[in-house]
Amino acid sequence: MVDQLFLVNSLLQLASGIVALSVSFTAFRYMKLVENDILRFLSFGFMLLGIGLIFGASLMLLLSFNVGKIAEDIELVYVATVSYLVLQALAYFSFAVGYARGAYGNVRKEMASTLFIATSMALPRLPRNYLLLGTHINAALQLLILILLAFVIFQGALIYSRSKGMFSLLVLSGFSLIFVAHAIMLASSLFPSALLFTFGAVVQFGGFLSLLVFLLNSGRVHAASKNT
Amino acid sequence: MEEGNAKPTRVLYKANLSYDRLVKYLDELISKGLLQEVHASDSRYYVITQQGVKFLEEVRKAEAFLSGFGLSL
Repeated sequence: MVDQLFLVNSLLQLASGIVALSVSFTAFRYMKLVENDILRFLSFGFMLLGIGLIFGASLMLLLSFNVGKIAEDIELVYVATVSYLVLQALAYFSFAVGYARGAYGNVRKEMASTLFIATSMALPRLPRNYLLLGTHINAALQLLILILLAFVIFQGALIYSRSKGMFSLLVLSGFSLIFVAHAIMLASSLFPSALLFTFGAVVQFGGFLSLLVFLLNSGRVHAASKNT
Repeated sequence: MEEGNAKPTRVLYKANLSYDRLVKYLDELISKGLLQEVHASDSRYYVITQQGVKFLEEVRKAEAFLSGFGLSL
Protein backbone atom coordinates (compact mmCIF):
# COMPACT_ATOMS: atom_id res chain seq x y z
CA MET A 1 0.00 0.00 0.00
CA VAL A 2 2.81 2.43 0.99
CA ASP A 3 4.73 1.56 -2.20
CA GLN A 4 1.65 2.37 -4.28
CA LEU A 5 1.23 5.67 -2.44
CA PHE A 6 4.88 6.53 -3.16
CA LEU A 7 4.22 5.81 -6.84
CA VAL A 8 1.11 8.04 -6.89
CA ASN A 9 3.02 10.82 -5.08
CA SER A 10 5.92 10.59 -7.50
CA LEU A 11 3.61 10.86 -10.55
CA LEU A 12 1.78 13.86 -9.06
CA GLN A 13 5.06 15.59 -8.18
CA LEU A 14 6.50 14.82 -11.62
CA ALA A 15 3.47 16.39 -13.32
CA SER A 16 3.68 19.41 -10.97
CA GLY A 17 7.40 19.77 -11.70
CA ILE A 18 6.80 19.78 -15.46
CA VAL A 19 4.20 22.56 -15.05
CA ALA A 20 6.62 24.58 -12.89
CA LEU A 21 9.38 24.25 -15.50
CA SER A 22 6.92 25.27 -18.26
CA VAL A 23 6.04 28.44 -16.33
CA SER A 24 9.77 29.09 -15.81
CA PHE A 25 10.46 28.70 -19.53
CA THR A 26 7.57 31.00 -20.46
CA ALA A 27 8.73 33.66 -18.00
CA PHE A 28 12.27 33.35 -19.40
CA ARG A 29 10.98 33.74 -22.97
CA TYR A 30 9.01 36.88 -22.12
CA MET A 31 11.94 38.24 -20.11
CA LYS A 32 13.86 38.43 -23.38
CA LEU A 33 10.93 40.17 -25.05
CA VAL A 34 9.94 42.75 -22.42
CA GLU A 35 13.15 43.11 -20.32
CA ASN A 36 11.36 42.94 -16.97
CA ASP A 37 13.55 42.30 -13.92
CA ILE A 38 10.80 40.70 -11.88
CA LEU A 39 10.33 38.00 -14.49
CA ARG A 40 13.89 36.98 -13.64
CA PHE A 41 12.83 36.14 -10.08
CA LEU A 42 9.74 34.30 -11.31
CA SER A 43 11.64 32.32 -13.93
CA PHE A 44 14.40 31.42 -11.46
CA GLY A 45 11.91 30.53 -8.71
CA PHE A 46 9.79 28.29 -10.93
CA MET A 47 12.94 26.65 -12.25
CA LEU A 48 14.06 25.78 -8.69
CA LEU A 49 10.55 24.59 -7.88
CA GLY A 50 10.39 22.42 -10.99
CA ILE A 51 13.81 20.90 -10.38
CA GLY A 52 12.95 20.31 -6.69
CA LEU A 53 9.65 18.60 -7.55
CA ILE A 54 11.20 16.39 -10.23
CA PHE A 55 14.01 15.54 -7.80
CA GLY A 56 11.41 14.72 -5.13
CA ALA A 57 9.43 12.62 -7.61
CA SER A 58 12.57 10.66 -8.56
CA LEU A 59 13.31 10.03 -4.89
CA MET A 60 9.79 8.71 -4.30
CA LEU A 61 10.01 6.52 -7.37
CA LEU A 62 13.25 5.00 -6.08
CA LEU A 63 11.64 4.50 -2.67
CA SER A 64 8.55 2.86 -4.13
CA PHE A 65 10.64 0.27 -5.95
CA ASN A 66 13.36 0.25 -3.25
CA VAL A 67 15.99 0.62 -6.01
CA GLY A 68 19.46 -0.02 -4.63
CA LYS A 69 17.80 -0.64 -1.25
CA ILE A 70 17.54 3.14 -0.89
CA ALA A 71 14.67 2.82 1.58
CA GLU A 72 17.08 1.14 4.00
CA ASP A 73 19.58 4.01 3.87
CA ILE A 74 17.85 6.41 6.26
CA GLU A 75 20.64 8.99 6.10
CA LEU A 76 20.50 9.18 2.30
CA VAL A 77 16.71 9.52 2.31
CA TYR A 78 16.93 12.20 5.01
CA VAL A 79 19.55 14.27 3.11
CA ALA A 80 17.63 13.91 -0.17
CA THR A 81 14.37 15.00 1.49
CA VAL A 82 15.99 18.01 3.14
CA SER A 83 17.66 19.03 -0.15
CA TYR A 84 14.30 18.83 -1.90
CA LEU A 85 12.65 21.03 0.75
CA VAL A 86 15.53 23.54 0.71
CA LEU A 87 15.10 23.92 -3.08
CA GLN A 88 11.38 24.56 -2.58
CA ALA A 89 12.08 27.13 0.16
CA LEU A 90 14.56 28.95 -2.10
CA ALA A 91 12.00 28.94 -4.92
CA TYR A 92 9.28 30.51 -2.73
CA PHE A 93 11.79 33.04 -1.38
CA SER A 94 12.51 34.04 -4.98
CA PHE A 95 8.75 34.49 -5.60
CA ALA A 96 8.38 36.50 -2.40
CA VAL A 97 11.08 38.95 -3.50
CA GLY A 98 9.71 39.16 -7.06
CA TYR A 99 6.13 39.64 -5.87
CA ALA A 100 7.13 42.30 -3.35
CA ARG A 101 8.83 44.29 -6.08
CA GLY A 102 5.85 43.79 -8.39
CA ALA A 103 3.22 44.71 -5.80
CA TYR A 104 5.04 47.76 -4.43
CA GLY A 105 5.79 49.09 -7.92
CA ASN A 106 8.16 52.05 -7.86
CA VAL A 107 9.29 51.55 -4.29
CA ARG A 108 13.07 51.64 -4.24
CA LYS A 109 14.83 48.31 -4.17
CA GLU A 110 16.40 49.02 -0.81
CA MET A 111 13.06 49.93 0.79
CA ALA A 112 11.38 46.77 -0.51
CA SER A 113 14.23 44.57 0.75
CA THR A 114 14.27 46.32 4.14
CA LEU A 115 10.51 45.89 4.46
CA PHE A 116 10.79 42.21 3.67
CA ILE A 117 13.64 41.60 6.10
CA ALA A 118 11.92 43.63 8.85
CA THR A 119 8.72 41.62 8.37
CA SER A 120 10.65 38.35 8.54
CA MET A 121 12.42 39.41 11.73
CA ALA A 122 9.15 40.43 13.33
CA LEU A 123 7.82 36.87 12.96
CA PRO A 124 7.89 34.84 16.20
CA ARG A 125 11.27 33.20 16.59
CA LEU A 126 11.04 29.43 16.46
CA PRO A 127 12.85 27.65 19.27
CA ARG A 128 16.42 27.06 18.10
CA ASN A 129 16.45 23.48 19.29
CA TYR A 130 13.26 22.76 17.30
CA LEU A 131 14.87 23.92 14.08
CA LEU A 132 18.19 22.18 14.64
CA LEU A 133 16.92 18.81 15.80
CA GLY A 134 17.46 16.53 12.82
CA THR A 135 14.18 14.71 13.21
CA HIS A 136 12.26 18.02 13.04
CA ILE A 137 14.12 19.59 10.11
CA ASN A 138 11.44 18.34 7.74
CA ALA A 139 8.70 20.08 9.72
CA ALA A 140 10.86 23.19 10.18
CA LEU A 141 11.44 23.55 6.45
CA GLN A 142 7.74 23.01 5.72
CA LEU A 143 6.98 25.78 8.24
CA LEU A 144 9.45 28.12 6.54
CA ILE A 145 7.84 27.33 3.16
CA LEU A 146 4.40 28.11 4.64
CA ILE A 147 5.61 31.50 5.92
CA LEU A 148 7.09 32.39 2.51
CA LEU A 149 3.96 31.21 0.72
CA ALA A 150 1.77 33.25 3.06
CA PHE A 151 3.70 36.33 1.94
CA VAL A 152 3.34 35.36 -1.73
CA ILE A 153 -0.41 34.78 -1.32
CA PHE A 154 -0.88 38.11 0.46
CA GLN A 155 0.89 39.89 -2.41
CA GLY A 156 -1.14 37.88 -4.91
CA ALA A 157 -4.35 38.93 -3.17
CA LEU A 158 -3.27 42.59 -3.32
CA ILE A 159 -2.59 42.22 -7.05
CA TYR A 160 -5.95 40.52 -7.68
CA SER A 161 -7.82 43.15 -5.68
CA ARG A 162 -6.24 45.79 -7.94
CA SER A 163 -6.76 44.09 -11.31
CA LYS A 164 -9.74 41.72 -10.75
CA GLY A 165 -8.41 39.81 -13.75
CA MET A 166 -8.90 36.10 -14.48
CA PHE A 167 -5.19 35.51 -14.89
CA SER A 168 -4.20 36.96 -11.51
CA LEU A 169 -7.04 34.93 -9.92
CA LEU A 170 -5.70 31.70 -11.45
CA VAL A 171 -2.19 32.44 -10.16
CA LEU A 172 -3.57 33.34 -6.69
CA SER A 173 -5.65 30.12 -6.63
CA GLY A 174 -2.59 28.12 -7.63
CA PHE A 175 -0.40 29.47 -4.85
CA SER A 176 -3.27 29.18 -2.32
CA LEU A 177 -3.72 25.48 -3.09
CA ILE A 178 0.05 24.94 -2.87
CA PHE A 179 -0.05 26.64 0.56
CA VAL A 180 -2.84 24.31 1.74
CA ALA A 181 -0.87 21.33 0.35
CA HIS A 182 2.22 22.26 2.35
CA ALA A 183 0.08 22.67 5.49
CA ILE A 184 -1.22 19.13 4.95
CA MET A 185 2.31 17.85 4.33
CA LEU A 186 3.47 19.54 7.55
CA ALA A 187 0.65 17.75 9.39
CA SER A 188 1.71 14.47 7.77
CA SER A 189 5.26 14.89 9.08
CA LEU A 190 4.06 15.79 12.61
CA PHE A 191 1.50 12.95 12.67
CA PRO A 192 3.15 10.46 10.28
CA SER A 193 0.66 9.36 7.69
CA ALA A 194 1.41 8.32 4.12
CA LEU A 195 -2.26 8.83 3.17
CA LEU A 196 -2.22 12.39 4.51
CA PHE A 197 0.97 13.13 2.57
CA THR A 198 -0.63 11.75 -0.59
CA PHE A 199 -3.66 13.97 -0.02
CA GLY A 200 -1.24 16.89 0.26
CA ALA A 201 0.38 15.89 -3.03
CA VAL A 202 -3.06 15.79 -4.69
CA VAL A 203 -3.89 19.29 -3.41
CA GLN A 204 -0.44 20.52 -4.55
CA PHE A 205 -1.12 19.09 -8.00
CA GLY A 206 -4.42 20.99 -7.98
CA GLY A 207 -2.44 24.18 -7.42
CA PHE A 208 -0.16 23.45 -10.36
CA LEU A 209 -3.20 22.56 -12.44
CA SER A 210 -4.48 26.10 -11.82
CA LEU A 211 -1.10 27.46 -12.97
CA LEU A 212 -1.30 25.23 -16.06
CA VAL A 213 -4.76 26.61 -16.92
CA PHE A 214 -3.31 30.13 -16.51
CA LEU A 215 -0.37 29.26 -18.79
CA LEU A 216 -2.58 27.75 -21.50
CA ASN A 217 -5.15 30.58 -21.43
CA SER A 218 -2.56 33.37 -21.44
CA GLY A 219 -0.91 31.64 -24.40
CA ARG A 220 -4.17 31.66 -26.34
CA VAL A 221 -4.51 35.46 -26.38
CA HIS A 222 -4.53 36.67 -29.99
CA ALA A 223 -3.23 39.86 -31.56
CA ALA A 224 -6.77 41.19 -32.10
CA SER A 225 -7.92 40.75 -28.51
CA LYS A 226 -6.98 42.33 -25.18
CA ASN A 227 -6.09 40.20 -22.17
CA THR A 228 -8.43 40.13 -19.15
CA MET B 1 -2.55 49.23 -37.71
CA GLU B 2 -3.49 45.76 -36.50
CA GLU B 3 -6.77 46.33 -38.38
CA GLY B 4 -4.85 46.14 -41.67
CA ASN B 5 -3.47 49.45 -42.78
CA ALA B 6 -3.30 53.06 -41.67
CA LYS B 7 -2.21 56.45 -42.92
CA PRO B 8 0.58 58.30 -41.07
CA THR B 9 -1.79 60.91 -39.61
CA ARG B 10 -4.05 58.29 -38.10
CA VAL B 11 -1.07 56.52 -36.52
CA LEU B 12 0.19 59.89 -35.23
CA TYR B 13 -3.06 60.65 -33.38
CA LYS B 14 -3.67 57.12 -32.09
CA ALA B 15 -0.10 56.71 -30.81
CA ASN B 16 -0.06 60.26 -29.38
CA LEU B 17 3.50 60.88 -30.52
CA SER B 18 5.36 63.83 -31.95
CA TYR B 19 5.97 63.66 -35.70
CA ASP B 20 9.76 63.22 -35.35
CA ARG B 21 9.38 60.36 -32.90
CA LEU B 22 6.72 58.72 -35.04
CA VAL B 23 8.98 58.80 -38.11
CA LYS B 24 11.83 57.33 -36.06
CA TYR B 25 9.68 54.46 -34.73
CA LEU B 26 8.07 53.75 -38.10
CA ASP B 27 11.48 53.55 -39.76
CA GLU B 28 12.63 51.11 -37.09
CA LEU B 29 9.53 48.94 -37.48
CA ILE B 30 9.97 48.91 -41.25
CA SER B 31 13.68 48.02 -40.96
CA LYS B 32 12.75 45.10 -38.69
CA GLY B 33 10.17 43.84 -41.17
CA LEU B 34 7.17 44.42 -38.91
CA LEU B 35 5.63 47.14 -41.08
CA GLN B 36 5.51 47.83 -44.79
CA GLU B 37 5.23 51.24 -46.41
CA VAL B 38 2.89 51.30 -49.39
CA HIS B 39 2.68 54.15 -51.89
CA ALA B 40 -0.63 54.46 -53.74
CA SER B 41 -1.47 57.22 -56.24
CA ASP B 42 -0.95 60.40 -54.18
CA SER B 43 -0.88 58.94 -50.69
CA ARG B 44 1.05 56.51 -48.63
CA TYR B 45 0.07 54.22 -45.84
CA TYR B 46 1.48 51.56 -43.59
CA VAL B 47 0.57 47.90 -43.58
CA ILE B 48 1.40 45.41 -40.86
CA THR B 49 3.34 42.41 -42.14
CA GLN B 50 2.84 38.75 -41.16
CA GLN B 51 5.93 39.07 -39.00
CA GLY B 52 4.38 42.16 -37.41
CA VAL B 53 1.15 40.27 -36.65
CA LYS B 54 3.15 37.45 -35.03
CA PHE B 55 5.14 39.95 -32.97
CA LEU B 56 1.95 41.66 -31.84
CA GLU B 57 0.52 38.28 -30.80
CA GLU B 58 3.64 37.55 -28.76
CA VAL B 59 3.36 40.95 -27.08
CA ARG B 60 -0.32 40.32 -26.22
CA LYS B 61 0.56 36.88 -24.80
CA ALA B 62 3.36 38.45 -22.76
CA GLU B 63 0.88 41.08 -21.47
CA ALA B 64 -1.55 38.33 -20.45
CA PHE B 65 1.20 36.33 -18.70
CA LEU B 66 2.53 39.41 -16.89
CA SER B 67 -0.96 40.41 -15.72
CA GLY B 68 -1.20 37.13 -13.81
CA PHE B 69 1.66 38.34 -11.60
CA GLY B 70 0.51 41.95 -11.36
CA LEU B 71 3.03 43.18 -13.88
CA SER B 72 2.61 45.18 -17.06
CA LEU B 73 4.67 46.08 -20.11
